[in-house]
Amino acid sequence: MRVRPLAFIARRHLLHNWFRTLISVVGVAIGDCFMILMSSLMAGFETTFVSDTIESSPHVTILDEHRDPPDEFAGWLSRETAGVVTVESARPRERRYRIKKPFETLEAVRAKEGVAAAAMNVVGTSILNYGSREVGAQLVGIDPEAQDAVVSTDEYMTEGRLADLHSASGAIVLGSGLAERLGVRRGDTIGAALRAAGGAGGLAGAAGAATGASRSLRVVGIFHTGIVTIDGVRAYTLLHLAQQLLGLGRDVNRIVLRMDDYEEARELAADVEEMVGYRTESWQEQNANFLSIFTVQKVITYVVTGGITIVAAFGILNVLIMLVLEKLPEIAMLKSMGYTAADVTVVFLLEGLAIATIGVVLGTIGGYWLQQGLGALPIPMKGLIETEHLTFVDPPRIYVVATLASFVSTLGAACLPALRAGRLDPIVTLRGRA
Amino acid sequence: MTARDAALVAPTPARAPPAISAAGLRRTLGEGDLALEILHGIDLEIRRGEFCAIMGPSGSGKSTLMYLLGALDRPTRGTVHVDGVDTSALSERRLAVVRNRSIGFIFQFHYLMPEFSALENVMIPQLRSETPRGEARERAEHLLGLLGLAGKEHRTPARLSGGEQQRVAIARSLANRPIVVLGDEPTGNLDTRNGELVFTTFERLAREHGQTIVVVTHDPRLAARTQRIVRLQDGSVVDDGPPAEVLARAGEAH
Repeated sequence: MRVRPLAFIARRHLLHNWFRTLISVVGVAIGDCFMILMSSLMAGFETTFVSDTIESSPHVTILDEHRDPPDEFAGWLSRETAGVVTVESARPRERRYRIKKPFETLEAVRAKEGVAAAAMNVVGTSILNYGSREVGAQLVGIDPEAQDAVVSTDEYMTEGRLADLHSASGAIVLGSGLAERLGVRRGDTIGAALRAAGGAGGLAGAAGAATGASRSLRVVGIFHTGIVTIDGVRAYTLLHLAQQLLGLGRDVNRIVLRMDDYEEARELAADVEEMVGYRTESWQEQNANFLSIFTVQKVITYVVTGGITIVAAFGILNVLIMLVLEKLPEIAMLKSMGYTAADVTVVFLLEGLAIATIGVVLGTIGGYWLQQGLGALPIPMKGLIETEHLTFVDPPRIYVVATLASFVSTLGAACLPALRAGRLDPIVTLRGRA
Repeated sequence: MTARDAALVAPTPARAPPAISAAGLRRTLGEGDLALEILHGIDLEIRRGEFCAIMGPSGSGKSTLMYLLGALDRPTRGTVHVDGVDTSALSERRLAVVRNRSIGFIFQFHYLMPEFSALENVMIPQLRSETPRGEARERAEHLLGLLGLAGKEHRTPARLSGGEQQRVAIARSLANRPIVVLGDEPTGNLDTRNGELVFTTFERLAREHGQTIVVVTHDPRLAARTQRIVRLQDGSVVDDGPPAEVLARAGEAH
């Protein structure tokens, strides 16, 4: 089969009916373009969140609790006696949560392969006040130098530096959202409620009763990570000061780690948990809620863009079926002139191929261009993460997938009418017309 | 006769087989209870250079016969030989080659491709037979000139009159120097003057160039201008002979 005469016919069909061709091409291009746009927007969102998270949160955190806490006595009793004895109004035993032998544990995990840095933290809830404003904060006691090796904190400082915590006897660094809610700026002095020594200082925190006394703290810096849930609640102070504020004596309740490769956090967390016995969470586990949103979001993206592609493919199918119906007499004539079924099929396949190729090229260029344009527009967003622009991430994979999907679906849509055109019996057409 | 005109039709070898011969041709359409035999065993031989008319009332099987003679359809029984080749035994692909090389079809409607100029329409069958483009173009120009369409080669069918369109279709049927031109009521859609003009063209092609032509027509006045009339009735040949005799016998019958 010589393709040239067939290409000659196909090209003329497309050029002569240029408006219809244009619409088909645009249909394919839009499908391809939006697939690229949606994919890269979603990827951008996820990448921003993940990179912000792994920079501003520890990759692995050792907590002061056990994954399967031992039964409280009353619960055990109820189960063992099969309900003959029931215990009501049982309260958990007052237990002091802490990591035992923190220095030994710290040294042990630091020595592990894959761990880049480790630091001790004290975490608890504190009430900060400025004038009559009171705001609950997640107070994190740190050693600034050790902490910065684990979590990039200093680079997110918008005012002051993390090391300024050493500069005053009672210094604190606030998240930007927290500072805003309190209405304070750098240099202001705020109050923090003192908690009675020996009080439980877990994240729930409510157990520790405030003594009513307050400690004055000077705001020496403000940080802004862009992750709203961090900026709005977190405050850093020195380790011993946090222990004092939270009434923890000399206890430590967190050990935070940075990994050489954050992708391996999950495995390392399991290792460490087995080694030290305390519940140890990877950043993935700590952000499981958000990461599961991204999974759902990916599914939605594929469904929507897949839908766009399928609609575009149906458009092509429609256009080509119309074209074949319109060309019935000419198809009959071509066959009577010695063109075979395969020849006729190839003519229409070539038309589909041309529409697919041009559409995909335009769509890919359009997708790239639109992405650049939209990425440059100032669209301030404050949700899960805070950005000034829409963030697009466009690894080549996105272009390859979108291009292939659009191309294959278009060509697939062209197959049906093309095969039908080839199989048409010229005599049926000729009899119908004569 | 110029050298060019001599090349209009395929050269006839000595002792050549008839252009088309049909033997015991039967064609049944439909299946089962709906099966209907359209042709009841037709024997027919079209000699080379013959200009022949096929007449008969509607439904007598004229078109079906044309499709069978032109290798566009296969007989239920019987054989068709085109230029000595038994087409009933050929594959679809080989049949297409026979249609392309040996047959020139003209229908009631011109079926020109609206996107292509008159010239390109005449080139299309030649492109299928892998004639070099330049040669195909030259031949198309020559044929259009011969049919009085010089100067209108680059018009699309929409910009030609009905008679001109049908003449382009005739030029197209001649493009690959076919053994036989088959016209299925080629004047059926034309007014009297243009119909006459088309028949004048056929006469000239047959007389001056020795082109074999078989034409279905209802018009006795046009049929009278051919060399032979075959009359079909209810799927059988009822008369066959010189136009004057056949038309006279048909007149008596009525």
